Amino acid sequence: MTVQERAALRLQERPRREASLWRDAWRRLVRNRAAVLGLVVVALLIAVAITAPYIAPAHYAAGDAADEHTVPSWLAAVLPGNVAAYAKINNKFLLGSDFLGRDLLSRIIYGTRVSLPVGFMGAFTALIIGLVYGCISGYYGGRVDDIMMRIVDILYAFPTMLLIILLMAFFKTSFGGTPVPGTPAYTFNQINKAVDSILGLRGGGMLFIFMGIGLTAWMGMARLARGQILSVKEKEFIEASRMIGASDMRIILRHIFPNIIGPCVVAETLAIPGYINYEVFLSFIGLGVDPPTPSWGNLISEGAQALRSYPHLVIFPALALSITMFAFNFLGDGLRDALDPRMRGTS
Amino acid sequence: MLRDKRLFLVVAVLVTVAMVVSACGPKGPKLAQEINLNLGTEPPTLDPALATDTTSVEVDESLFLGLTDFDDETMEVIPELATEWKVSDDGLVWTFTMRKDAVWVHYDPATKKFTKKRPVTAHDVEYGVKRTLNPETASEYAYVLYIIKNAEAYNTGEITDPAEVGVKALDDWTVQFTLEQPAGYFGGIAGMWVARPMPKEPIEQFGEKWTEPGNIWSNGPFALDTWEHENRLVLVKNPHWYNAKNVSLQRINYVMVVEASTAFAMYENGELDVCGVPTTEIDRVKADPVLSKEYYEGPYLCTYYLGFDTTEPPVDNKLVRQALSYAVDRQKLVDTVLKGGQKPAKTFACPGIFGTPAEDPNFVGISYDPEKAKQLLADAGYPNGEGFPEMTYLFNTSQGHQRIAEFIQQGWKEVLGIDVVLANQEWKVYLQTIQTDPPAVWRMGWCADYPDENNWVLENFHSTKGSNRIKWSNPEFDRACEEAAATSDPAKRKELYAKAEKILCVDEAAIIPIYYYTRVVCNKPYVQRTYAALGNEHYDKWKVLAH
Amino acid sequence: MTQYIIRRLLWLIPVLFFISVVTFALLRAVPGGPFDREKPMPPEVRANLEHYYGLDKPLPQQYLSWVARIVLHFDFGPSYSSRSRTVNDIFAAHLPVSAQLGVLAILLALLIGLPLGILAALKQNTIWDYLGMGIAVFGVSVPNIVLAPLLILIFALTLGWLPVAGWGTPEKMILPVVALGMRESAIIARLTRASMLQVIREDYIRTARAKGLAERVVMVRHALKNAFIPVATVLGPMFAALTTGTFVVERIFAIPGLGKYFVTSITNRDYPVVMGTILLYAVFLVLANLAVDITYAFLDPRIRYK
Repeated sequence: MTVQERAALRLQERPRREASLWRDAWRRLVRNRAAVLGLVVVALLIAVAITAPYIAPAHYAAGDAADEHTVPSWLAAVLPGNVAAYAKINNKFLLGSDFLGRDLLSRIIYGTRVSLPVGFMGAFTALIIGLVYGCISGYYGGRVDDIMMRIVDILYAFPTMLLIILLMAFFKTSFGGTPVPGTPAYTFNQINKAVDSILGLRGGGMLFIFMGIGLTAWMGMARLARGQILSVKEKEFIEASRMIGASDMRIILRHIFPNIIGPCVVAETLAIPGYINYEVFLSFIGLGVDPPTPSWGNLISEGAQALRSYPHLVIFPALALSITMFAFNFLGDGLRDALDPRMRGTS
Repeated sequence: MLRDKRLFLVVAVLVTVAMVVSACGPKGPKLAQEINLNLGTEPPTLDPALATDTTSVEVDESLFLGLTDFDDETMEVIPELATEWKVSDDGLVWTFTMRKDAVWVHYDPATKKFTKKRPVTAHDVEYGVKRTLNPETASEYAYVLYIIKNAEAYNTGEITDPAEVGVKALDDWTVQFTLEQPAGYFGGIAGMWVARPMPKEPIEQFGEKWTEPGNIWSNGPFALDTWEHENRLVLVKNPHWYNAKNVSLQRINYVMVVEASTAFAMYENGELDVCGVPTTEIDRVKADPVLSKEYYEGPYLCTYYLGFDTTEPPVDNKLVRQALSYAVDRQKLVDTVLKGGQKPAKTFACPGIFGTPAEDPNFVGISYDPEKAKQLLADAGYPNGEGFPEMTYLFNTSQGHQRIAEFIQQGWKEVLGIDVVLANQEWKVYLQTIQTDPPAVWRMGWCADYPDENNWVLENFHSTKGSNRIKWSNPEFDRACEEAAATSDPAKRKELYAKAEKILCVDEAAIIPIYYYTRVVCNKPYVQRTYAALGNEHYDKWKVLAH
Repeated sequence: MTQYIIRRLLWLIPVLFFISVVTFALLRAVPGGPFDREKPMPPEVRANLEHYYGLDKPLPQQYLSWVARIVLHFDFGPSYSSRSRTVNDIFAAHLPVSAQLGVLAILLALLIGLPLGILAALKQNTIWDYLGMGIAVFGVSVPNIVLAPLLILIFALTLGWLPVAGWGTPEKMILPVVALGMRESAIIARLTRASMLQVIREDYIRTARAKGLAERVVMVRHALKNAFIPVATVLGPMFAALTTGTFVVERIFAIPGLGKYFVTSITNRDYPVVMGTILLYAVFLVLANLAVDITYAFLDPRIRYK
């Protein structure tokens, strides 16, 4: 067999090997109980987000201020302190109500429509931009690599939070409000409205949060992807396909991508809790979604102020957040172990 | 815990000793030396000429005296550095005679020593006013003094000779102001921080750093001991103040805690003696056997209101504006969301402001009336809210404003069947937006600089002389404001202002007054205090019992 | 090595230049200025103020004079929202506080995170492992915004052991350091466990064992040292982020640190302070990363810098 023949043979083998690789990974994943639990919880959360209008007891903005700060009886029984002396205690709401008498459970349920997309969109933009950027940089190497990585280094030296705050302020003010049709601001505004309506929320301003987080999240991914490419690039099957005259595009897409996507997905799964946390921070400094749209971030940061008087307002949203964090962490760890048993333990 | 017990023991012993000692001495409660307060934030400046915010003014009030002051209760103008003043018949020339026993003091925090520098004279007043107006000082509040002759021209660089400004020291103890036009409220302006006497020597010596401890000269009841930026600020009693023998507090310890819930936790933990109560804690405090006795609600001279862009459909129609106003259940807002005993507002200027019809039983304002609101909206062409265009309600980012916005949005939806989009912007952007390109509805609060309607209706909504963010022009309203400003007859002024308020808040409904602010605080039982409705507390009158 | 360090330090110059230009441009593109006030001031007064701070000059000139002042006098300019202070004053007063808090929090994080991670790795798939990692994930998943008031409620208000807020005395430092360190210790624990697991499977560990070295010696001399490398990697940015201030913890505990300036200087449009803080952070980050890279050379003899 000539070298070329051998390479061709190898290339034919690739898809089969790949498929079995994924199947093996899946088998290893379902054997990991914590990871399965994580997967189930994530799937449940997605289901909750999609079916929110059907499963939530009430609309997130509906309520009567006369029912403000209701504490559910079952909770009042176990809370320390004398909640009964100042708060309404009844069973009208399973998890109690907020300052406008809105059902907290419903708001947490609708909140998944903000917090989950923030997590996924963060991961998604990071993957798209980061992968492309990292691949180009790593694959071409040399001067290109040098320049592209220096740019990442520079951007990396920005305090992330400060950059997000600046970008958010910029987006919200330049593109919010009611701009004139035909301007870029107007286009952005329409996209923003479209995003909100896809999520079934009114006036949330989600696009700007996605953009703020996405624009800073890709840098870590770019570095990771580049590192992965460098380790894959010199492998013989890449060498081989280059010999048989495959284009760069084809090599990257067909041969390199499948080999590096695993670690990248793992890294982003583990990064999702971080993005969800960003949203909490943004809410704390007042750059979260617009009211009355609920997000876990604004529920938590508002609830935390009422910790002493109405603990239910922070306990339940924080619980929802923690469960989600656990789920993504378990899932990410499990994926990592499953995708590459040797990689178990690296981050 | 151990520390606490030991502390308790020490306190117990001290109290016993104190009781024995005081039993021998003259009768009267034993007083403590200090008080612990929360300033809230870092004061942006302690230079009276530059102060624009309540935090800076609060500290300045203890450090620097004005010619006049406001009475805590009646809010009338009372003498401070000036013993008396005369107004010329045409109302244009105001002559103040000053007391001779006020002195500038320098306090050295390192040695804890006070040095008497020199008396506070009319020349210091002239210097202070001209310094505020000097364009190089770049004072943001300089425009408050524009009523003084040529003040505006000098401040804006139209004239460069400060001698042409209408303020002059006739001798060491007499200062004379010449005004652009008669102004019944000038007595109050003369006592404002931007018009206070200033010490030339340290300002020239230290430049912008003259307000730092050790550099500063002051003349008020207290002097600056420590200013650890963003952390704490300490004032000590000035023994050379002319009324020092009646001042009980030796030290005021301010901390700067921004987070309201943290500050209140410090109060409950005994780390603060006085503290504002966060809205979410009010119900709990009122129900608590101890805290409820320490709770206080009192008026505070501010009004919360919604403004419109009166040129933008659909709120260019006064029927729509009235409908929106009638559909706000202000009492329910106070009871459920605000909880601090605020008063539903019918007028722009709150009670306590001279000239406001807020408490006049004959003044019929707009209050919650869902039927009337529906009717008005139908009259405007939107029965049950049908066909009502999309409209934005903008507020600046803050939990408190957000809650009010959500409440009002809910109410409008329920009563009128209209959907309003809520949007928020951070403060600086917000200010620019409502000034240049306001949305249909936006929120704002106004607090009195001096307790006179002129500071309210004219300075805000006059079509040319006010900031007029509502883009509104009503000749009748403008005329009423102008006439009232130039009139000195109190009865006539009141009548004109009532007319202006009626046009603004009822007939044209150019704004929706929501509520009059209150101050909601808890005071430890050992604090004997006064309340200044304008917010500038007089700590020289406060007493803290031994505890 | 020296050459390498010098080269890395020179790299700071383009980084700082680029960052400052971008920040400067972004800041001016965002609507709202430092002198927008609740009670709008007449345009003339505003002009006075802008002239006072040189904001009436063309933008490139403003930028250049800002750079010139730093290079020539190490003067970062005035603060618009605190008239008697300069940016240098602000750094001098608040950076030490933040640095103290940050260093203590990182020490606490290492103190908890390293042992927890090592324990979990050595006893992999036992109850210790699950417990340790459970705690670690919990640490990452409770936001500071909740943890900080909770600590106040428990340790200050209910138990009365510690003061609510403030800074300066040791007892005031405990709660904020714990609130800040918890999360970081969780990150360190997870990382330590992961890298330990990888290292103990390496050939050289097997060799060391085969040589008959005591298990303790193998672990401490060989495994730990190498397992620390990835931990050192995150310590760099962590150090830069924590020592230059953390907004949430400083705000809730009323600590006079630098963290608030990263947020409030932007909302106040206090341009010189924003520019100053952003440069400060970049310098810290680059230096911290450099320190980390130098540490590598000591930890892993295979790494050589040219």
